[in-house]
Amino acid sequence: MIHDSPGSGPRPPGPLKQAWTIARIELRRAFLSKRGFWVYGLALLPSLIFLGHGVEVKVRRNRLSAGGLTPAALVDRVSKGETVEDVLERLGRPADDQKWERRKRVRADGESASVTSHAIEPATEARYVRLNITRPVYSGEPTARIYEFEVYGPDGTANLALKRPATGSDPCTPEEGPEKAFNGSVSGGRSDKWCTHETWNAFLQVDLGSILRVRRFVLKHAGAGGEDEEWDTREFNIQVSKDGKMFTTVVNVTGARFVEERTSYRMLVYFDGRRQAYLRFEDGRLVSKQVRPLLDFEEDRQVFAGVFQYFYLRLAIFFGCLGIFMNLFRGEMLDRTLHFWLLAPARREVLLAGKFGAGLIASTAIFAGGALLCFAVMIWPHDPAEVQAYWEGAGMTHVFWYAIAAVLGCVGYGSVFLAAGLLLRNPIIPAALLLGWESINGFLPQMLQKLSVLYYLQSLCPVPAPMDKEAPPLVQLLLAPAAPASRVGAILGLLAVTALVLWLSSIAVRRMQISYGAEV
Amino acid sequence: MNTRAVVFDEVSKFYGEVLGVNRVTLNIPPGITSLVGPNGSGKTTLMNLMTGLIHPDHGSISVRGISPRNPEHLMRVTGYATQYDAAPRWATGFSFVTTSLLLHGYGRAEAEERAWKALERLSLTDAANRKVAAYSKGMRQRVRLAQAIAHDPEILVLDEPLNGLDPLVRARTIDLFRTWAAQGRHVILSSHVLQEVDVISDQVVLIANGMIVAEGEIRNVREEIHEHPSQFILRCRDASRIAALLFNEDHITEIRLNEDQQGLLVMTRDREQFSRALSRIALGGHKIEGVIPADENVDALYEYLIGGK
Ligand SMILES: Nc1ncnc2c1ncn2[C@@H]1O[C@H](COP(=O)(O)OP(=O)(O)OP(=O)(O)O)[C@@H](O)[C@H]1O
Ligand SMILES: [Mg+2]
Repeated sequence: MIHDSPGSGPRPPGPLKQAWTIARIELRRAFLSKRGFWVYGLALLPSLIFLGHGVEVKVRRNRLSAGGLTPAALVDRVSKGETVEDVLERLGRPADDQKWERRKRVRADGESASVTSHAIEPATEARYVRLNITRPVYSGEPTARIYEFEVYGPDGTANLALKRPATGSDPCTPEEGPEKAFNGSVSGGRSDKWCTHETWNAFLQVDLGSILRVRRFVLKHAGAGGEDEEWDTREFNIQVSKDGKMFTTVVNVTGARFVEERTSYRMLVYFDGRRQAYLRFEDGRLVSKQVRPLLDFEEDRQVFAGVFQYFYLRLAIFFGCLGIFMNLFRGEMLDRTLHFWLLAPARREVLLAGKFGAGLIASTAIFAGGALLCFAVMIWPHDPAEVQAYWEGAGMTHVFWYAIAAVLGCVGYGSVFLAAGLLLRNPIIPAALLLGWESINGFLPQMLQKLSVLYYLQSLCPVPAPMDKEAPPLVQLLLAPAAPASRVGAILGLLAVTALVLWLSSIAVRRMQISYGAEV
Repeated sequence: MNTRAVVFDEVSKFYGEVLGVNRVTLNIPPGITSLVGPNGSGKTTLMNLMTGLIHPDHGSISVRGISPRNPEHLMRVTGYATQYDAAPRWATGFSFVTTSLLLHGYGRAEAEERAWKALERLSLTDAANRKVAAYSKGMRQRVRLAQAIAHDPEILVLDEPLNGLDPLVRARTIDLFRTWAAQGRHVILSSHVLQEVDVISDQVVLIANGMIVAEGEIRNVREEIHEHPSQFILRCRDASRIAALLFNEDHITEIRLNEDQQGLLVMTRDREQFSRALSRIALGGHKIEGVIPADENVDALYEYLIGGK
């Protein structure tokens, strides 16, 4: 029977052993909490992005080297002005070859495309002037647009058609009637024109009021009103009449006043196994040459440094620890299971240590693991020789300090959020406050700066994050607050902050009482 | 101080503005003790105080000489089956009890053996490897009992342990209580029905509105309750005369004269004797216009506590 020897339990376990037992039980919650699966996404996101980058590069490299590699020396010797034929003969088949052509319509005689002037010799007598549009635009769209139609007599000063009664084909909209072509203005926006969709016999006619001598017509097309030049009128004629019945054609315009200018382009890409050379030819001659490494190890490491500082330290570890550590006590209060722990024969401090340990193991594994995995994925597509050289140089030290920074990030933020979870009910408020505090850290007085986690983490990172020199000083200060110079100082400082926060937590945990349902 | 007893000394607990318990002084010797009171009377509050889940605002508590602020000592000799129904998500019946034993420092093998025995005693072996979250209410009740007894504690605190148990298991569980109590342990349980626990309890503590109403052996408590003072208001002409007559009766504990000389407030320990006395006075020619019980709510509560008719 169990109760043969009442009360004679096992020897009380030491606090360390007990904390470890608690931590082991809690690991399940810390790693697999239903509320916390998103932390994995957060930790693995950069790895996925680098993986995508790596795969893309590998695929591209395979494609480029499919046709054989080109010796680097040959590529280097190509110079501007050479012809395509020369280059092709010397360097052989390119890894990539693209041709394209650009056409441009230019005015034959250099006059503006959008305002055309048509003089007749000699001047003729007319009361009615009529514009017939046969092909409305260059782009093929069936809409004619005339912003202004002016008629001048032999002295050429007054616009005889200004504000005269006008008729024309059905306008596109009521605002775009024929009168708009005779209102003396082109600058009143899109509706300061006559417009018609009619394609069969599109016309615009004005009544000068009496028979006058006319010598010159000016047409202001789409471009004059601020619209696309492609919509300028392409083929049209102008007729005059004295009685409005018998018309004589006096001007006839076809699109032949334009010529087409063609430029042919060609891009040859050569690959020497590491670098790709982009050779751009215009009309058969080399105009630009760009040589870029397919993969830039140096650059990728810089990118990683940025990802580590801005993404991992400021975002992923911050919010991850928020999720993991705030839930250690608060989550169980919400689940109404906390009494299970408080009824264990363990000092409250031991319970705190055990739960903190579990959170630490989980967050470290997830985030330091995530960051290191990301680092590995970043390195993966690079040239083994280059990577080898890096390992023999600074590589190991970098990895070491990244790991230390990630682990200490979890320690620092973990303790802060553990305390927040014990002292406060709503996680949003402390998170926002802390995020704000960490962001304005650079502006705080020296003394207060030291009460920040980021302050210390910053200086543990082996590679400074890339920073745009052009960035405003405010942003620079926000993103790169002052940091203690020495790493030992940073580690000690961070541990001191952690100890302070854990001490506060231990007071809170001793005072903690079960109060289910009164939460939320 | 008696280190064999559970002692409450002037203990008060407030939840913000809400009263939990007020100035409770108790001395609970080993044996089966039942806390009886209606919902919200403060039974759980007392048990949580005793086990350190909450802390008193005033007064002090000692459980066999141990302060509830030292769970590392207290919980080695205490098992508490709470009224909280939730279990950790990961827990099966077996792992729930085993885990708790691991925290006590038992090796895995012994922890598992003890867990199994405890589950056996509560007839839970069939369901041992299922998730506690999927248990029925009665099974969850039993698994909490199993956890509370698994490390063989000296003090068992059980919040409404018989709630939701079927008659067979209930009988077995009551047998367990008796066996433990016979070994000089504390078995402290709560119930809101006196009949449920009166036969098995060595002591009962009646509690209402956060205050101890009566405590002691069940027989004495019944009498005490039965004799609780009742208040009546008498309307009559010659109030001072009637007061003088009533004053001779020894079941009357207090008489107060109304200012208008037209009424009396009388407190009596025995309602039957009081009504007999009243008829005698009336027969003696004194006119009594009315008798009104002054405190019906209190009477109802007491009747409830003793399982009144
Ligand atoms: N966490 C809490 N927050 C606020 N008030 C509480 C809390 N716990 C208990 N109370 C209040 O304290 C009083 C005593 O509650 P307690 O749970 O001790 O009663 P009980 O006798 O166990 O009732 P029951 O029979 O329903 O279990 C009640 O008025 C209750 O509303
Ligand atoms: Mg209760």
